[in-house]
Amino acid sequence: MSSPSSIQHPGAVKVQAGMSRETVEGEIGPSFPIYFDSNGHTLFGWFQGPPAAFLADVGLVICKPFGYEAICAHRSLRAFADAAAALGVPSLRLDYLGTGDSAPIDLEADQVEVWRRDVAAAAAELRRRTGVRRVCLLGVRLGGLLATLATDECGESTPLVLIAPVVSGRRYVRDLRTTRLAALMGMNVSPESPGASSGSMEVSGFTLSAATLAALAQVDLKTRAAPATSSVLLMDGKNMPGAAAWAQQLSELGVRTTYSALPGLIGMIMTPPQSAAIPLEMVATFETWLRDLVSAVPARPNAGYMQSRSAASELMTLRSDGFAHRGDPLTERPMFFGHDSAVFGIVTEPRPGEIRRRAVIMLNAGADVHVGVNGMNVTLARQWASRGYVVLRMDLAGLGDSLKRSGQADNEVFPETALDDMRAALQLVRDRYAVADVTLFGLCSGAYHALRAAAAGLAVSRILMVNPQNYFWKTGMHLDDLQVAEVVRNPAVYRQRLTSRAAWKRLISGKVDIARIAKIYMARPLLAVGSALRDAARWGGVRLRYDLGRELEEIDARGVKIVFVFARDEPGIDLLKIEAGSSLRRLGERCRVRIIDDADHVFSHSGPRATLQDILSEELFARSTAISFAPLPNKVEKELLG
Amino acid sequence: MTVRDTIVAQFEQVAVEQRRKLARLSDETKLLDSGLDSLSFALIVARLEDALGLDPFDTTDDVKFPTTFGDFVQLYEKHPG
Repeated sequence: MSSPSSIQHPGAVKVQAGMSRETVEGEIGPSFPIYFDSNGHTLFGWFQGPPAAFLADVGLVICKPFGYEAICAHRSLRAFADAAAALGVPSLRLDYLGTGDSAPIDLEADQVEVWRRDVAAAAAELRRRTGVRRVCLLGVRLGGLLATLATDECGESTPLVLIAPVVSGRRYVRDLRTTRLAALMGMNVSPESPGASSGSMEVSGFTLSAATLAALAQVDLKTRAAPATSSVLLMDGKNMPGAAAWAQQLSELGVRTTYSALPGLIGMIMTPPQSAAIPLEMVATFETWLRDLVSAVPARPNAGYMQSRSAASELMTLRSDGFAHRGDPLTERPMFFGHDSAVFGIVTEPRPGEIRRRAVIMLNAGADVHVGVNGMNVTLARQWASRGYVVLRMDLAGLGDSLKRSGQADNEVFPETALDDMRAALQLVRDRYAVADVTLFGLCSGAYHALRAAAAGLAVSRILMVNPQNYFWKTGMHLDDLQVAEVVRNPAVYRQRLTSRAAWKRLISGKVDIARIAKIYMARPLLAVGSALRDAARWGGVRLRYDLGRELEEIDARGVKIVFVFARDEPGIDLLKIEAGSSLRRLGERCRVRIIDDADHVFSHSGPRATLQDILSEELFARSTAISFAPLPNKVEKELLG
Repeated sequence: MTVRDTIVAQFEQVAVEQRRKLARLSDETKLLDSGLDSLSFALIVARLEDALGLDPFDTTDDVKFPTTFGDFVQLYEKHPG
């Protein structure tokens, strides 16, 4: 087990190894999850307190953008919270109802109206916990619109920080519709989401109800009265000054408005989490603006507000009527664990009295936060817990809501300490829930980590791996490096281009990366040769490094069930054939491979995603308990490779 | 600057911003093979509305996203505006 020398909050404050979490919080300020009520529903939020001895009399509620933008923006929003804490400003970033780790929402609800009230409830909660008199709202994209609409309920003169806010709901919906249309290109999936309410729209795996779309069509901030705010900091993307005209209008209406068009928006909200970048100029501009705001009100001793933690309810009880199997309510329990308490996760607990001791541990997909792609981990965790499983959705250290260890690269998808974190998760479910049967589940890099855990001999019963794109990762590699998956995927494309006159023209003109193509061409035959050599070595009893076939056979020999699930066009399928070679034939049914048609890498369409969830549930329940299970849809193909 | 030139410029600009490798654009280039993703196309369409003053996807009709770059350009060139 490696022993990191220190852990580091993403805000960049370092603390030493061996410190308790309480000591860490003394250095960087308290930072912990909370649950709070919003109109009878339970919301999840993250409280970040200031490290200083004095608390500003200003708090900050952070309103996320919608859908995929929120997943991408996760780290950046933490950076804004850290910047606020450094100025003595406590913050609360909330998950709106039906998003993130909050309770589910009625699929017919007008999300704009519900979420606007959620923002107001968060402001009230922040006041209650800290005693601050003024609450500032920071909103990104749709969160900016919600924050603006919520000012009326948040008290007079609520300061606003708006980042590329949605000004016209109609235009926003149109942008989402374009995204959706483009995402459906070349896919044979129904535009209608199974189980969704009529007239709703699913975009990148996240759904807006018909009522929401109708409400958005009516919202245009330019035609409304000025919000109840004393001052506004409005930051647009540098190349997308969508709110410039409204900012001008606010100024003319007498609202003190600071407007900037700054770089960093695309890197913050439209770039996959593993590559997303914190918009440093925006954070710096926010700091300057907030410092002025804070200096206008006297600071006061913060004794007392820290106690709000012990008084907080750190559990959420979920009514189970929204799940597949109705019954007793479920409980969700957030916790930090691991030897340095750096790893964060949320456990969904089955009903009290559940006697089957089974657990699923869910791993990050890429650098997505623990809610999983499209929030799928939350949905599955609640479904599976309602059927008796303890389900932990966790963030590896350095990802999502976990802490980063000193020396660890920022936002690292394949950290060296992943095994330690998974070992700690296993220990947690065993010690706390007396679980004997543990399944590791992961998509993409999460699948890789699940495989590595089983190969390393961690005591798991089953590994559920969805769309792995690599089976080995060597220290020093970077995501931008040539991936073996690309070698598998691209030769046919390059072969076609060899016959193209245009391609030759580009080659001559130097517009083609010859070295990269050569690398791809050279790697492919090497893979085939390597596969044959590994088969021969296995046959001769010789152990080689990076032998996936041998690893799978050894995992199987320990009684671990192996399940791969792939979208039809995933390069990981061919890679599995090449790297595992003859072992796949020997393993037969003991290494299950399931293929799903018309799915993309992250199952962003609800139809294929529902199929995936059925398959995963079948593997968990039908295969372990011999309970009969409904037949799978026709589109699902079950096939063995080899 | 022609409509086509404007569109090409936006494809190139968004590819740079999104750190994506843009394929060579010809009329036959399939948008799926262009190197851009759905979010990139949404950005392009939004920017083209600002640049050209029209959005062919802003309709209640059941519009489908074009398959090739040529179809995409034609959608803008033939739009009544």
